[in-house]
Amino acid sequence: MSDSKPFTLLIAALGGEGGGVLNDWIVECALGQGLPVQATSVPGVAQRTGSTSYYIEMMRTPAPDGAQPVFALNPMPGGVDVVLASELVEAGRMIERGFVHPKRTTLIAASHRVYTTQEKMQMGDGRFDDERIHAGARALAARYLSVDMAGLAAAHGTVISAVMFGALAGAGVLPWPREACERVIREGGLGVQASLAGFGAAFDAVADGSAREALAGAGAGLAAKTSPEVWAPLLATLPAPMRENAAHGVVRVLDYQDSAYARLYVERLQRIAAAAGNSSTQPLVARALAEAARLLALWMTYEDVIRVADLKSRRSRVARIRDEARVREGEILEIVEYLKPGVDEVAATLPRALGARLRDWATHNGKLESLNRGMHLPSTRIHGYLMLRLLARLRPMRRRSLRFHEEQQSIERWLAALERMLAASPAFAAALAELPRVLKGYGDTQRRGRASFERIFDTLVERALGSTSGPAAGAAQELHAAIAAALAEPEGRELERSLEKAGIEPRAPAAKPIVWMKKPRGAASTVVTSR
Amino acid sequence: MERSFSAEIRSLSLGAGETFHGEGILAVTKALLQSGVSYVGGYQGAPVSHLLDVMVQARDYMDELGVHVEACTNEASAAAMLGASIMYPVRGAVTWKSVVGTNVASDALSNLASPGVMGGAMIVVGEDYGEGASVIQERTHAFAMKSGMWLLDPRPNLPTIVRMVEHGFELSEASNAPVILELRIRACHVRGSFVARDNVKPRISTRELQMEPAPFDYARLAHPPVTFQHEKLKYEVRMPAARKYIVDAGLNELFDGDRTELGIIVQGGLYNNLVRALQALGLADAYGRSRIPILNLNVVYPLVPEQITGFCAGKRAVLVAEEGQPDFIEQEINTILRRADLQTKLHGKDLLAMGGEYTAELLLAGLVRYLAAHAPDLPRGAAEGLLADIAGLKAQATEAFSGPVPARPPNFCTGCPERPVFAALKLVEQDIGKLHVSADIGCHSFATFAPFSFGNSILGYGMSLASSAGVRNFSARRPVAVMGDGGFWHNGLLSGVSSALLNKGDGVLIIMKNGYTSATGTQETISTPTSESRRVAEGTSATGSEVTIENTLKGMGVKWLRTVDNYKVGDVRKTLEEALTSPFEGLKVVIADGECQLERQRRIKPLRAKMLKEGKRVVRTRFGVDEDTCTGDHSCIRLSGCPTLTVKTPTDPLKVDPVAHVTNDCVGCGLCGEVAHAAVLCPSFWRAEIISNPSRWDRFKARVREAFIHAIRPA
Repeated sequence: MSDSKPFTLLIAALGGEGGGVLNDWIVECALGQGLPVQATSVPGVAQRTGSTSYYIEMMRTPAPDGAQPVFALNPMPGGVDVVLASELVEAGRMIERGFVHPKRTTLIAASHRVYTTQEKMQMGDGRFDDERIHAGARALAARYLSVDMAGLAAAHGTVISAVMFGALAGAGVLPWPREACERVIREGGLGVQASLAGFGAAFDAVADGSAREALAGAGAGLAAKTSPEVWAPLLATLPAPMRENAAHGVVRVLDYQDSAYARLYVERLQRIAAAAGNSSTQPLVARALAEAARLLALWMTYEDVIRVADLKSRRSRVARIRDEARVREGEILEIVEYLKPGVDEVAATLPRALGARLRDWATHNGKLESLNRGMHLPSTRIHGYLMLRLLARLRPMRRRSLRFHEEQQSIERWLAALERMLAASPAFAAALAELPRVLKGYGDTQRRGRASFERIFDTLVERALGSTSGPAAGAAQELHAAIAAALAEPEGRELERSLEKAGIEPRAPAAKPIVWMKKPRGAASTVVTSR
Repeated sequence: MERSFSAEIRSLSLGAGETFHGEGILAVTKALLQSGVSYVGGYQGAPVSHLLDVMVQARDYMDELGVHVEACTNEASAAAMLGASIMYPVRGAVTWKSVVGTNVASDALSNLASPGVMGGAMIVVGEDYGEGASVIQERTHAFAMKSGMWLLDPRPNLPTIVRMVEHGFELSEASNAPVILELRIRACHVRGSFVARDNVKPRISTRELQMEPAPFDYARLAHPPVTFQHEKLKYEVRMPAARKYIVDAGLNELFDGDRTELGIIVQGGLYNNLVRALQALGLADAYGRSRIPILNLNVVYPLVPEQITGFCAGKRAVLVAEEGQPDFIEQEINTILRRADLQTKLHGKDLLAMGGEYTAELLLAGLVRYLAAHAPDLPRGAAEGLLADIAGLKAQATEAFSGPVPARPPNFCTGCPERPVFAALKLVEQDIGKLHVSADIGCHSFATFAPFSFGNSILGYGMSLASSAGVRNFSARRPVAVMGDGGFWHNGLLSGVSSALLNKGDGVLIIMKNGYTSATGTQETISTPTSESRRVAEGTSATGSEVTIENTLKGMGVKWLRTVDNYKVGDVRKTLEEALTSPFEGLKVVIADGECQLERQRRIKPLRAKMLKEGKRVVRTRFGVDEDTCTGDHSCIRLSGCPTLTVKTPTDPLKVDPVAHVTNDCVGCGLCGEVAHAAVLCPSFWRAEIISNPSRWDRFKARVREAFIHAIRPA
């Protein structure tokens, strides 16, 4: 019996990425070298952007006369020589299924992420941690090559399959030379120059060892803006854990309103810092202080119509969109804004008393939603731009507005609680500092976030405040869990379940209006229609 | 059609001695032509779609040969087409995805198999089983057995597959029975080569007409009393004839080995993975030379008792490798051995898994157990080590990742017209509460995945409305049935709509009118827009002027019928709410109109490239999100799930949760903006219209606007 083993290659990709083309290139190369080869795949509906894979087996030398190698159709765990993945989590999936063996498998994987729906749809950060995949890959692959495939493809105006082919060839695992690969790309006839460029760049990056872990996205392009010099003395009065976020916070608040408002921001931080006293370096307290500085800045600069109009009419924005949408020289860009201001937004901007009256009227008459008007505002045209600027110029009015008043009340309530808890229980304070995370979004989302905030405050936080001996053991955990639950799904059911575990009686789910009900047989046959 | 097969069409006409390189299912297509088929039909579905697609696209060449190609509207109509071979000496083949297609076809198949055939009749089924399958996990084998049709399961290499197609027709004619050729998913998509033969022009064809119809012959009708005679014929005449042909033509293969006291009987389709498992044990080499004798069954029904007893006689124990449930082959071999009073021990599902795909890893585990019991002298250490390694690797991965990596099921394409309908339905649920949704087969079944998670049942292709017939009578709130136009024409019109009308059923049916059967590769239906209207539509939806579905429903007596433009989420929402709350009792149909985006992009891309090259004015649209105003709550994603609407790390150091972001693959369908409006989400979305090769007027306007804005814009 001959003991030559087939060379096995597993390609993990997403449907629609051109994995089939890559598959064909490799088969053509093998055929060109006179090597017996077989390729299989499981496209099916996975072609519609789901995970899919391609599997190739070949002999490294031509078969003896008359002999036909028998190739397997499925990859076997522990039996794959090379795993090539077009995306990081797909590489993880191959490791998870046992296809990457520490003694045998070379893993060549893209370093970028294409997030799954499950990750994207979370209210907070649902992204799978890249580093966990890298760590698993380093531990379990005989050789791990992490390549910025998306970056190379974009840089050379080509598709990821060409870059994957280059990385594979550059890793020196194929039984044929680089020229053979380039020949089949050329014979393919479509987008040849770009494919060759992407192939070559990936080949070189891998072959000369420059492929290394590129942690896609993380830390990229952090805004360099820090607060103006004049604020330095004031910021220096804050304890160290607060300073970085506070410096960014001051910039944000200044940009949002004025220097008086920024001073209020710093004063509020000073109050919290004073409550922490000299325990500010203790890890839990430090975390509470840093988070409070971060979230207070975001909260004080809540998004209202004025803010949105201001941000949308800045000079830097058009340049950013031109860049993002890859508008070329000589092309004209028109931008249309999708706005839908409603009674709520208008009332929020009006002076306090007037706004409150409008909102009450709308709530009682069921007009809170029905008066929303969808607007397509062309902000690169004169009238559209003027409208944005007019709204942005309302900034001085903001201090007297209904929403401003309500937000400040709410902030004060949270600050007072935080001050007390920093002294009583650093663990609870750390959780409480994070509570404003649930305040997010616009319209309905914002109302739900506000409701979650208040629900948690009225139950868990008030209970802790009301106890003379400080929060009970486990109270901090319960608060953390409630915040996570509020961010887990938008309906608030998870939050109620979480509160129930903490011994709070759950609220009944909000009733839906009955719009149509079939009557049981025998009853009057009229259909009920009511809203 | 989604894919173009111009290169493949050329390889269909290869002559004797030339080498065919390509996919398994296309090798079958070529083998059909080499066998001289007169007609080919079928219904598309992975993994066999390409067989029909390539033939439809190769119409000119088919016409030259005289071969008729029919894109049937369902598997029943395809199966019935084989009726041509009952009375005429013509060869025909049909194809579909199994087991679901065989289920639909089974009425016609029973009535075909009973009288039997004169010309060779072949059914090529894609056995959609194991990894990559999209249907329930059942075997086609049962249909072959119950109807007396012969079942081929060739070794998955192209020369064997082609040989089995050619022999299949001979076998069919030698025994007057239809033959099924089953190919698993990977075998359909396997790339390999074989040496071609010349194609054969059929003797009776679209070019060589049969001048007189066949004479009346009651014995060839599936009608009593001859059906009683058919049953006798099947088992007294046809099956013995088939067995004789199987032996004479050497369809099953014996691979001998030196350990003659052992033996493995394997379904042809599993042979390659079995050899891989034997290689891991050091019992076979790369070329398949095995130390354990193997009886490879390219014909898995009927078995030839003499062949089985001949192989098993004198052996200590034989292992049967048979995938799926029930274990028909193992049971039959047991019967054969008992009848022959052979004492050879028989193993199968006792050592191998009860269900699931038989991968090399799984076969290896079974072989190790088999050898431990019957050949303890053979070394198993390396294989056992490998199996332990595999288990360890999977555990280590889960530990390193602290849990499973996120799943990535298929999703609606970028810009898909069906996504907005489910976004609207989600908004409707916010208003009036949870709905019972009967889902169906098609792209719209992706709505069963996140972020929509719609669907209380899936009962088969075109069955959604029928499956809500019971529910709608005991539900206080009206149930919703979702169906594609593919499913509507496949089965939904009759099983669902006509039945609901007859019974005055009060429910809501949403029909996705995207113009094609899109999950299978955008094949055409009776309501596909004409090529002229598609040309005129360019990149816009071409389905608006196509009203075959509307007319059909009106003609049948549907009184409540609305057509909505899918991308107008607010309108869709209003219409659905109206349907769900209307005092009108009876079937309410909402036709959700929007052409498949794959087809639109296929038209617009080359057109746009051409216009750009010629220096003509072209406007492209895409959407985006203002990072500054996005608060990272992702409610837009929960209402869309578009692949290009994703998240990224914010550049703002104070924000920690990722913000929404639109990638450059955006096709500008407008759903993001519509959803932001309909759900009153947030003001972060913008639409960019980018004008390439602008006209003078464009440039003038832009200059004036820029000058004005520049003058008043703050930094």
